[in-house]
Amino acid sequence: MSGKPGIVVLGSPRSGTTLLRRLLDAHPNIACPPETYLLSAAARFLHADQFAAGLRIGVLDGLSFAGFEEAEVLARLRGLTFGFLRDYAERVGKPRWAEKTAFDAFHLAEIRRLCEGHVKFICIQRHGLDVAVSLRDLVDKTGGYVQELHDYVRRYPEPLEAMARAWIDTATAIAELADSSEDAISLRYEDLSADPAAQMQRVFEFLDEPWDDELVGRALAGTGQVGFGDWKTYARSSVDRSSVDRWRSLPEPVQVKLAQICNPTLERLGYARIESDDDEDDADAARRRYEFGLLLNRMKNEDS
Amino acid sequence: MAVTRETLLAFLSKKTRADLSKIEDGAELFSSGVVDSFVMVDLMMWLEKQTGARLNPADVNLDNFDSVQRILAYAASRAR
Repeated sequence: MSGKPGIVVLGSPRSGTTLLRRLLDAHPNIACPPETYLLSAAARFLHADQFAAGLRIGVLDGLSFAGFEEAEVLARLRGLTFGFLRDYAERVGKPRWAEKTAFDAFHLAEIRRLCEGHVKFICIQRHGLDVAVSLRDLVDKTGGYVQELHDYVRRYPEPLEAMARAWIDTATAIAELADSSEDAISLRYEDLSADPAAQMQRVFEFLDEPWDDELVGRALAGTGQVGFGDWKTYARSSVDRSSVDRWRSLPEPVQVKLAQICNPTLERLGYARIESDDDEDDADAARRRYEFGLLLNRMKNEDS
Repeated sequence: MAVTRETLLAFLSKKTRADLSKIEDGAELFSSGVVDSFVMVDLMMWLEKQTGARLNPADVNLDNFDSVQRILAYAASRAR
């Protein structure tokens, strides 16, 4: 073992984390398995509810009454989760592990509590409207919502708004980590897909690992490994940029609505604001738009 | 406000994200797929604002909306 810390990839789901996983796993010193859900499971273990009186109810406080200090509980949990990853790396003959599970980003507070000071974080961000569109596609394909997304759909009945809100919360939490920790590096999916070699050189320098020019080609050729992750990315042998700016194909009223929700976070992350000359429809305009949609449908039927 | 060829083409170019400045006035827009349903609805909303007149449901047909020439003629007939 090299003694170098493990690596945790963090990004909103559908932000290119599976592409990043494949690129990391192609490094001769790094083993990054398909999604294990280890850290989100550990985060659920650490979850506590807090009520008006301020008392936290969860495993850390419960065990503290039994005489187990928080640091000890965290160390034991770390030993369990990191142990699986260490064993996996050893099994594939590599000295260092990396972990990436797309939905970890929803559990960042607990994951930071468990991992900070013990791992290096690689944070990846993507344009929020592209994330929302891609999450909507994911839900269409899977036919249901994972718990983390269902929480948003319950609050926001319009799926695209729900997905955009999920992106805001996860992207913001990830940006806060990247801004505050010397053990974190941040990159953008748009940059990674445009020039994977340049971005990965930055990443491996941060990780104190050597770079080789064949790495990207090796990563993309390796489509044989199966597991949880973005199924489209697993099948690809080249980086596909067609999903960049897909949000521009959304109807204008949807763009206007999502822009109002996402613009502050987009700007915080260095993306351009979505500008529009149009205001969000008021109730009368929305009704009129609906009427025109029906009339247009009639026109199409008459034409065919 | 009168709808001119320039303002109409500028609107359609912006909404379709395509340069339509060279399109022929008689070329089919909706039937050919140059303008999709979303943009067509935007166009109708825009025409109502520009002309200040509500579109009659019976007027929503290809005779009035399938080319620059037809749209301009329809807009002129609706302008107050």
